[in-house]
Amino acid sequence: MNLFAKNEPNAPKSQADLIFEANQRKELQFKANVALSWMVLILILIFLFSGQNILGIKTIQLDTTFIKDNLVFIAGGLGQTIKISLLSIVLATILALLAALGRLSTFPPIYALSTFYVSLIRGTPLYLQIFFFFLALPQLGIILPGLWAGVIALGLNYGAYMSEIFRAGLSSVGKGQREAAIALGMTPGQTMKRVILPQALRFAIPPTGNEFIAMTKDSALVSVTGFVHELMWRSTKVGRAQFHNLEALIMAAMFYWAMTLLLSYLQSRIEARLSKGDR
Amino acid sequence: MVPIVKISNLDKYFGRLHVLKDISLEVMPREVVCLIGRSGSGKSTLLRCINFLEVPSHGTIEVDGVKVEGGEKGKINRDLVHEVRLRTGMVFQEFNLFPHMSVLENVIEGPVQVKGMDRDKAIALAEKNLNHVDMLWKKDEYPMRLSGGQKQRVAIARALTMEPKVMLFDEPTSALDPELIGEVLNVMKKLALDGMTMLVVTHEMGFAKDVADRVLVMGDGEIIEDAKPSDLFTNPKDPRTKALIERYRSGEQ
Repeated sequence: MNLFAKNEPNAPKSQADLIFEANQRKELQFKANVALSWMVLILILIFLFSGQNILGIKTIQLDTTFIKDNLVFIAGGLGQTIKISLLSIVLATILALLAALGRLSTFPPIYALSTFYVSLIRGTPLYLQIFFFFLALPQLGIILPGLWAGVIALGLNYGAYMSEIFRAGLSSVGKGQREAAIALGMTPGQTMKRVILPQALRFAIPPTGNEFIAMTKDSALVSVTGFVHELMWRSTKVGRAQFHNLEALIMAAMFYWAMTLLLSYLQSRIEARLSKGDR
Repeated sequence: MVPIVKISNLDKYFGRLHVLKDISLEVMPREVVCLIGRSGSGKSTLLRCINFLEVPSHGTIEVDGVKVEGGEKGKINRDLVHEVRLRTGMVFQEFNLFPHMSVLENVIEGPVQVKGMDRDKAIALAEKNLNHVDMLWKKDEYPMRLSGGQKQRVAIARALTMEPKVMLFDEPTSALDPELIGEVLNVMKKLALDGMTMLVVTHEMGFAKDVADRVLVMGDGEIIEDAKPSDLFTNPKDPRTKALIERYRSGEQ
């Protein structure tokens, strides 16, 4: 028998090869059809805002000169939006980790502080919390730039929700891992840092990506205070001034959507990399 | 000779359940002691009390001259427990290798983090021990890619690299496919020949018969028999021991 039969161009294909190729064709076809359907949906969306009146279907008329004139001004808010989101997610991650660790504490005040924080923040609306930080902090004599007050509010809020993610991550690490570390003579601190946390964080990365995507959009709420000139603030400002609210909001929506698409793509890349490794 | 492990009047309660009843036991250096008995007899709990993975409710544990009193969880002398853990190595049924570290990283983790050993020195020691369990060729693999028997041999090397005085084995072959049990038992046999003091909780009667110096039979939280394997397997005294040995004989045929 010729062991190298597979490499010969005219060798007959095996049953397994044929099934594999058929499956691959199916998968490709599915992807192509999904892409095509997306195109159709996007065309419908564009048509809805085209101002055309075809077959008696009413569509929305947008002022294109307004859009052109204000594109640069609104896009100028992207930097602030990204900055708020990045700073907030860093703060939220730290708080979430501390809160999740606090839930493991056997020292009552620490446990209480952690549950109190999560309960209070999850029990009140984010919109209200953002106002609260702008109103309350100056009364305490703390005057922060608008951006930082927004970051604190968003970070505290998302930290409370994300603490549940980290808690799940920590409890996903088996009891045997802790025992193995202890049996080697590791202290509780070493066990947490060297054995439990690295495994818990790997579990927590994909859901944290989700939270980050959600946060880029919730950063729009910071605009209500009027001190942070991010995407939403800029679009409401020009929209109101020139009576073109709808155009301005649609432009903001496009920017948020584009950011989200990019972030989702990055997240899927990270997830693929995590699942490929040694796990 | 002075015993290297000395357990005196040990009691352990799980809630209201009295799982270990006034146990006293001495193990001499270089001795290989197998603990057998039905599940729920307390053999694993006894082993786990030695390095305080379970805190004894009463009684004392002494390992290589370090003596720790049992009692309430919060009132145990942590420094002494740490000293005991440095003198004992443990091998678990489920291996418990760290999945985020390579084989070599698993093995040097203890010496580097706990003893503060120089990394190069730890690697040399780890490679020597990995070679001893015939796993050096897989040193850069991650545990995920190893078979159960290979994982357990790495776990043994990890415990050995802490240079313990006593090795504790908690059912080291119970989670393995039958064809992989032999390679782990062979490594353990090799350790016994090297002169390591070993306490082995096991269902492997063949190993107890061939390798152990002494076999302890546990039942209902007590040591019901303590004998040389040659005596125990030919002339069991307690009816519970007889039942155990008969079951082993019928399984063997």
